[in-house]
Amino acid sequence: MIDRRKFIALGGSSLAAALAAACDSQGPRGAQRILRFAERRNEGLERWLTTHDTRDVASRGARDARAAFPEYFISRQMPVWDAAARGVWRLEVGGAVRRPASLTLDDLQRLPRVSQRVNHYCVEGWTAAATWHGVRVRDLARLVEPAPEVGYVDFESFDDGYHESWDLESATHPQTLVAYGMDGHLLSPGHGAPARLHSPVKLGYKNTKYLTRVMFLPKRTGGYWSDQGYEWYGGV
Amino acid sequence: MSDPNVSPSSADAAGATTVVRHHWVVRLTHWIAVVAVTVMAASGLQIYNAYPAFARKGETFCCYPFEGSPAPGWLTFGGWLAGARNWHFAMMWLLVLNGLAYLTFIYLHGEWRDLVPRRGVPRDAWEMVKFYAFVRREHPLQGKHNALQRAAYFAMPMVGAVLVLTGLAIWKPVSLSWITGLFGGYVWARYWHFLAMTVLFALIAGHVFMVFSVDPYALRSMVTGRYDERLSPERRNARPFYHLLPRYGRRGGGVHARPASASAAPAAPAATVTPPAGGDA
Repeated sequence: MIDRRKFIALGGSSLAAALAAACDSQGPRGAQRILRFAERRNEGLERWLTTHDTRDVASRGARDARAAFPEYFISRQMPVWDAAARGVWRLEVGGAVRRPASLTLDDLQRLPRVSQRVNHYCVEGWTAAATWHGVRVRDLARLVEPAPEVGYVDFESFDDGYHESWDLESATHPQTLVAYGMDGHLLSPGHGAPARLHSPVKLGYKNTKYLTRVMFLPKRTGGYWSDQGYEWYGGV
Repeated sequence: MSDPNVSPSSADAAGATTVVRHHWVVRLTHWIAVVAVTVMAASGLQIYNAYPAFARKGETFCCYPFEGSPAPGWLTFGGWLAGARNWHFAMMWLLVLNGLAYLTFIYLHGEWRDLVPRRGVPRDAWEMVKFYAFVRREHPLQGKHNALQRAAYFAMPMVGAVLVLTGLAIWKPVSLSWITGLFGGYVWARYWHFLAMTVLFALIAGHVFMVFSVDPYALRSMVTGRYDERLSPERRNARPFYHLLPRYGRRGGGVHARPASASAAPAAPAATVTPPAGGDA
């Protein structure tokens, strides 16, 4: 027989155990489906909020991060393009496009150059201001002419298979750049040389460094972090 | 008992003393809020721990003494940054919809009158502080809530609104940059979000402490809705952990009759007793 006192003690201790298990855990597994549902709903709202008119500008009072700008890559060692082994670095721009292109760094630098001082929003919660120099992905799209069914862009790298796919609207946002320079210099290896993606409209992890390919695709292709549980959209 | 919310439900020698204090909508939204706020706070701390500081890279932050110290792991929820973010961005909808349902209900149903500050709340609150500090002997007259409760329960949705707005500001600092700008930019919005969370936590901690140490009989009213007015803190002349047992409250006739133990003390002159808080008393 379980009397009321015992029931309360049992219930209390099992509730405490459940709470203790819940702390520092990802929560009940059944909830993951609801969380994924919420993520897709949020994505709809975020897409609606993100227009090509929204711009980010690093405030004049904000100091440039310079040397404090974190360097990040997933390979064991800092990825450096080995031209002797792999030939001249080229950025392949292709996928479902009419005129695929393969661009050297010189080719990129001959395209219309944009310099913008914007924030970098990391998913961890920090921000860093820097000036980025590069080519709009929008201008690359004009160059290769994507097919009408294209809705996504996958940005691939030579950093151990790191890639992230984007929605076309964010990729062709006027502040989304294939950047080859930072704060007046060519990119350093720590920041993704020879070229990286940079945009203030997406969280840092969506901005692939060490770019090799820009693929215009009809379907979304996930990404290094979004396949592990981070939001695929990752908008700011 | 002119308030339609307070309907007599049992009659005994002392008259009808058990009333329905909380409408089921209020009770339901209260407990949903308990779950939602807990998950939001714990997953928020997990998110915070990914960068437990406020400074922009390359700068220092003026106004937070614990830059770089993460919150203890047992306070966090979500397992890792992505897990916590997924919980945070899902639970925020429950929090907001539940909060809107509650506010809409109390606006339409009239309970907002028990919560919005009236003239005299600061003075009444000061009387409550004096009472809890044993400076004043008699529990001030009150209605459904005393003045400190009114202030706290009014502040909670206000702080909640700040949390929602600052949350939007740091979720979408580019798409909703105008909101972020209102709070002084991303770094400050993140700081206000964190600070508002600690203020809400303080209010909740005070609320829970007072429920268990002064009026545990109010738990029943937040579950079944029913509240025995003979056991009210006012009737028991109850301070934290003082006159906690029912026996201090059962005696006496009217709603505002003094417990026997208190009547042994010199009664405060009627003129200094604060007026009843509302029509429901």
